[in-house]
Amino acid sequence: MNTHAVRPDIELLEITGLQHLQSVAIIGLSKNAGKTTCLNHIIAAWQASGQTRTLGLTSIGRDGEPRDILSDRPKPRIYIPAGTLIASAQEALKRSDALLEILELSNIRTALGEVVICRALSDGYVELAGPGSAEEIGVIADLLRFHEPDCLFIIDGALSRRSQAGSGISGSVILAVSADTSINPENLAEKTNFAVKILQAPELNQKDKDLLLNACKTNPQTRVVTVVGEERAMTMEIPSLVGYGKELAKKLTPGTRLFYLRGAITDQILSELLKEAHFSSLTLVVDDGTRILLKPEVVRKLRARDIDLAVLSPIDVRMVCLNPTRSNGLTLDSATMLEKMQSLLKIPVVDFGPVIM
Amino acid sequence: MKTSVMISQDLLNQVGLPEVLQSCHCRTSQGKRLKNSTRFFTNESRDDFLEEITAIARLVEMIKAKHSQVLEAQTQLSRLRELRGTFSRLEKGSLLDDTEFFELKGALTIFFRISRLKELMAAAGLHFQVTKDASTLLDPAGTGNPTFHIYSHYSPDLAGIRGRKRKLERDISEAKGNQRKVLLTQRTLVTAEEDKLEEQIRRQLGEKLKEWLPQMRHNAETCAILDFRLAKADLAVRWNATQPVAVDPSEPAILVDSRHPLIAGILQKRGMQFTPISITLKQGSTVLSGPNMGGKSVALKTIFLALLMTQLGYFPICEHLETPLYDFMAFESHQEGDLHWGLSSFGLECVQIRNHHRRSQKQQGLIMMDEPCRGTNPAEATAIVQALCKTYGKSSSTFFIATHYNVTPAAGIRFYQVRGIRPEVLAELPVPQTSRESELHEDLIRVRKIQNLMDYRFEEIEGSHQTPSGAIKIAELLGVDQVLLEEMIAAWQEDQWPNLD
Repeated sequence: MNTHAVRPDIELLEITGLQHLQSVAIIGLSKNAGKTTCLNHIIAAWQASGQTRTLGLTSIGRDGEPRDILSDRPKPRIYIPAGTLIASAQEALKRSDALLEILELSNIRTALGEVVICRALSDGYVELAGPGSAEEIGVIADLLRFHEPDCLFIIDGALSRRSQAGSGISGSVILAVSADTSINPENLAEKTNFAVKILQAPELNQKDKDLLLNACKTNPQTRVVTVVGEERAMTMEIPSLVGYGKELAKKLTPGTRLFYLRGAITDQILSELLKEAHFSSLTLVVDDGTRILLKPEVVRKLRARDIDLAVLSPIDVRMVCLNPTRSNGLTLDSATMLEKMQSLLKIPVVDFGPVIM
Repeated sequence: MKTSVMISQDLLNQVGLPEVLQSCHCRTSQGKRLKNSTRFFTNESRDDFLEEITAIARLVEMIKAKHSQVLEAQTQLSRLRELRGTFSRLEKGSLLDDTEFFELKGALTIFFRISRLKELMAAAGLHFQVTKDASTLLDPAGTGNPTFHIYSHYSPDLAGIRGRKRKLERDISEAKGNQRKVLLTQRTLVTAEEDKLEEQIRRQLGEKLKEWLPQMRHNAETCAILDFRLAKADLAVRWNATQPVAVDPSEPAILVDSRHPLIAGILQKRGMQFTPISITLKQGSTVLSGPNMGGKSVALKTIFLALLMTQLGYFPICEHLETPLYDFMAFESHQEGDLHWGLSSFGLECVQIRNHHRRSQKQQGLIMMDEPCRGTNPAEATAIVQALCKTYGKSSSTFFIATHYNVTPAAGIRFYQVRGIRPEVLAELPVPQTSRESELHEDLIRVRKIQNLMDYRFEEIEGSHQTPSGAIKIAELLGVDQVLLEEMIAAWQEDQWPNLD
């Protein structure tokens, strides 16, 4: 398939199988990765293919504003058809020009006001500014489904929020990648491939999953669970994983076979753990692939220690959307980039091009 | 409440009031605010108190009967949002946004729905003001739909603009490339017209709704009162609390089988039962004595909690309670001193004794003290306690004190004592034989054994007040070394002989 020439309508649905999903998250590998363009393509494809299910949109943080908050450069806007449900903050709604009917107020507050559940009564532009946490995204999903039980719930990510797009809420993901990640096509392909592999970290077996989840249920504040042998689960309460690497390392004992960390794991945390001799021959478990923020060399070190990575909620990356334009406006050769990425990645990589919105 | 109830925050926590009131769940922010404002009813506000208490009593019956209107009201109340900000903006003439209109529309619907619950509203003793015309403003087509946007019904011009816009949007959906760009630009221009007209409509709508502000505020306040009363009634049902009776200021407070829910809960977990407390507190002084570990402190806290809850408009956790509505209530116990004031524990105690006494000259209060002067020279402490009892004995206030010091009977002084362990049972208790230091769990077992034998009930003593004994026996039962114990007994006997001469 010549993905560069793909028509951004029916083919997008064929590639991703979106029409069979209940929800999907769009995650950017960097800032200006092209998430909004990707969302606009999905909306256009949804309309063009005559899908009857309603779209329900929100974002983690802010998206769809006309200019980039940091760089002040123009950004693609989100154009929705009448009937679409959106969950967005009060101030963002004032900057939207679709006629919006307020259905419900969510009680979720953001810097831009309370998140409001609306239905578009006309086509038009909207700015999305959704909640900031995975738990709140879950609440929004429930509210949208209350009004449209069968809607396709789409979560648009935002800068530095990669770690919050998962958490068992959205199993399916579209990864947006731009030339900002690397101008070297081979390098870009390698980085994207690594990101996809991490996002798609394998799911832990059900028995161990139950063991960890039960340990958390009895102690909801816990951030660390260690399992030695078949049944013994030890929990530990700390305010966050960041800055507590040494304390985490102390929890490792000979025979630890599962080490579950609730939160994002970073290179800094791992550097402390790797100093500990007992940190070997075990499975390091996190909530989902978005919680693994590690460099390739750290992952290689884990492999050398016979440490497997596993997740409680697996993520299925359905497609990689390439944006060959950098933040400074320079557009690179999309065909070469696509070729390199397609040869390395085992999932569809496409460049749908810009959308006139 | 702060000026009417004199108690340290620490002691108030020990009494358990904050924890007990945490179980009273209001559903609306308006109700929560009312609850947190903690109104203290006194004899001056007796009519309000009676209205509050009788309304709660009627709601208690409806909750017990699982009346469907209770659930409906609770459901509606849980949907009511904080409206103060929107009301204030409406009052100032600020331009409201669509979410604020939506909020008002929702609130008006809730007022209407609750106002239809006639039995419940009658039981709660409340009524709503009619705001049907305000509702119509926010639902011009009369669809009854709870959603909101600036409706085309507000203006034929707006309907016209939206018609043009809709046509453009249809064309945009079919257009490609440059043609689409041109149409999108045209749409932007029409949208600007629409925005301008919508803003005019919002302003006019705000002005019309402002006329209904007094009625809307009244109804929001009614929801707050209803919410709080329902929450109090629910609490009363859960804890099997009783409707208090307010008696004349000269009448005594009578508590029958009063329970402390938190302590009772702890005891229940240990397989033990809370002994309900019954007492009559007349104007003047009441002295409570009893053995160590006899539960005097718990009793005082239980009594204070029940009487304080009553004057805060809650149902007390008793079988029966009647009380005058005191002008103020004070409770003192175990003072640690106040570093900020540079006062020692006795210094602080003296200041409080002074303050309460001065206040009791002008107002009728309930003053409770748990072992005052405990760290003072016994002879002087006895004199102070005696003086307090004698002075308050002539007062119209009610003074209730737990003490180990001997109080000589005088006019206006009544005596109660905790029954404690019968001497013959105490004498038969086996003394621990082990000479080694007791382990903590063994100590706990012994303490429980003593607690199980203790009769925590009060009995009124006529005439002379008996100084309770048994402290040395308890020390023996808890394994105090023989040498030390013999010294204690010798010292006790020396102290008793002069009295026998």
